[in-house]
Amino acid sequence: MVTAADFESKTEIKWCPGCGNFGILAAMKDALAKLGLSPEKVLVISGIGQAAKTPEFMQCNMFHALHGRALPLATAAKIANHNLKILVNTGDGDCYGEGGNHFMHAVRRNIDLTVLAHNNMVYGLTKGQASPTSERGTITRVHQHGVIMEPFNPLAVALSLKAGFVARGFSGRMEHLSSIIQQALQYNGFSLIDVLQPCVSFNHVNTHRWYSERVYELEKENYSPADYMQAMVKAQEWGNRIPIGIVYKQDKPSFTDQVFALKDGPLVDRTYSPEPLRELLKEL
Amino acid sequence: MEAKLLMGNEACAEGALAAGVRFYGGYPITPSNEIGEILSSRLPAVGGRFIQMEDEIGSMAAIIGASIAGLKSMTATSGPGFSLMQENLGFAAIAEVPCVVVNVMRAGPSTGMPTLPAQGDVMQARWGTHGDHPSIVLCPSSVREVFDLTVTAVNFSEKYRMPVILLMDEVIGHLREKVTLPQPESIQVVERPRPDCPPEWYKPFEDTKTGVPSMAAFGDGYRYHITGLTHDSMGFPTTKKDEVESLIQRLFRKIRQGFEEIMLYETFLMEDATAAIVAYGCTARSAKSAVLMLRKEGMKVGLLKLSTLWPFPRVAVESLPEQVQELVVPEMNMGQLYREVVRVGHGRFRVKKVSRIDGELITPQEIIYGLKRRERK
Repeated sequence: MVTAADFESKTEIKWCPGCGNFGILAAMKDALAKLGLSPEKVLVISGIGQAAKTPEFMQCNMFHALHGRALPLATAAKIANHNLKILVNTGDGDCYGEGGNHFMHAVRRNIDLTVLAHNNMVYGLTKGQASPTSERGTITRVHQHGVIMEPFNPLAVALSLKAGFVARGFSGRMEHLSSIIQQALQYNGFSLIDVLQPCVSFNHVNTHRWYSERVYELEKENYSPADYMQAMVKAQEWGNRIPIGIVYKQDKPSFTDQVFALKDGPLVDRTYSPEPLRELLKEL
Repeated sequence: MEAKLLMGNEACAEGALAAGVRFYGGYPITPSNEIGEILSSRLPAVGGRFIQMEDEIGSMAAIIGASIAGLKSMTATSGPGFSLMQENLGFAAIAEVPCVVVNVMRAGPSTGMPTLPAQGDVMQARWGTHGDHPSIVLCPSSVREVFDLTVTAVNFSEKYRMPVILLMDEVIGHLREKVTLPQPESIQVVERPRPDCPPEWYKPFEDTKTGVPSMAAFGDGYRYHITGLTHDSMGFPTTKKDEVESLIQRLFRKIRQGFEEIMLYETFLMEDATAAIVAYGCTARSAKSAVLMLRKEGMKVGLLKLSTLWPFPRVAVESLPEQVQELVVPEMNMGQLYREVVRVGHGRFRVKKVSRIDGELITPQEIIYGLKRRERK
């Protein structure tokens, strides 16, 4: 039997005490164990950022890649071996800024993987610059008069690109987050979980308490995640009440489902044979 | 000016402002962040603008856009970001867009050791982008020199209409030293050549005596076409052999004509030296100590400190005194500039290298050991 301890790493965790990443990491391990996924079947890919250090602190297949580039790597990894369960740990800067273009196209592809976007609305690794999700007016060392742009809305963007599984979690509600991660991993297709988390060092507005006072679980409301237009409305809800849970869920064929060449099993399992090549050469 | 305690990255930001940089587009990366942080708050005060882009691909594109619109522009980054900038660096080279890219080198390859120094990007700064193109790469070894070379980098970029790379290492970027900055009015600031003909006569890529065409800003009445494709004197794509050939030849000729002012270097105690240390960046500081220590022992050793890395200052090596027989090249890489020293020495010197690639500085003792070490037969 798989337990959360199987994913435990001996590496010293280098996050600030009180960082939301601890809750996310715990929820991940819990979800993987509850699904009975053994560490060798799980591939965790990340970019660069505090969130992207996550694979370092786990025990499974771990890929700490380049800034913003986790999704194209994950896409190819899934195509090479679609038996892998792929989790992408990324942050608001990594996923929606540096990798924004990759993000949009990964949604469109509907590649079967789960994105855990640790969203603390600030750049933690580089010490406090505004991130794509920073709210208008956020003051940082390089935005001394406040950010003068609208924040990126990951849920609405993913929905607009017809993502089939769009959810939001909160690092302070570990069990609820674990339940979302489990459902996302079981979903066949691209699943986005935007995880709200405090940054104890650099975001002094959106704190653990700030979120705790505002978040409410959609599962406890009379809410159906099957209604696309309703999901769009929920994606816009922000302020005194912030919904968490599965905002939208719709089954559809994933990318790898639609690739005929993958019907016979993962590409990585195929043995090399020059035979088909010989046939092709004959045609020349 | 009164003496100040300044960090290398701070001196770089100040130098940029002094040289007239008015646009900075960047993306956060260790260990270059201070440059952007300072310029974000200081640029508006001088009528400039900082913008944080979505990535380094965007940063490099942004400084090109700002420069074409008429602003002196700059970005700063480190290895991984510098790699991302390469495609647009090539664009700036062929489209002759003045701009400055600061690369505060950290240990690589790839993510490497973000907070530890290295000098591993020397060749990347020369050949990182594809295709034949000239490069100007400057490398400071003190905080005051960071200021001076930032100004020089901006000046060269304007004068020769090309991207110029300021290659710092993490040690120099984060080094704090007491420095006296020059009086602002004493700083020579160069502006790009601008057209004075009527707009209808303007040829944006016309050959001139200097090889540098005049550059109009988009928006000031001279409408023209700019492209990364090989282009004719009007800026429109061409594959005609003579036009392509003359364009690429001109890109090289324009800096060849300026070699004398571009190739910056200093010598220290070289007059009677029989051996020399050839060094740059933070390593030049250890090299200077090594020279002084060896002189106390009675060894006749001098220092050749390079401030320009590309075009490689061949003349600096060639003009070393006749009695010099031995050179040692300490570098925080596997020997990137060492090969250049060997190449231009044409067998005249015994050349040794001292390499360190573990994120630690090269000490004077290591250089001394490298110099005294007998070659294996």
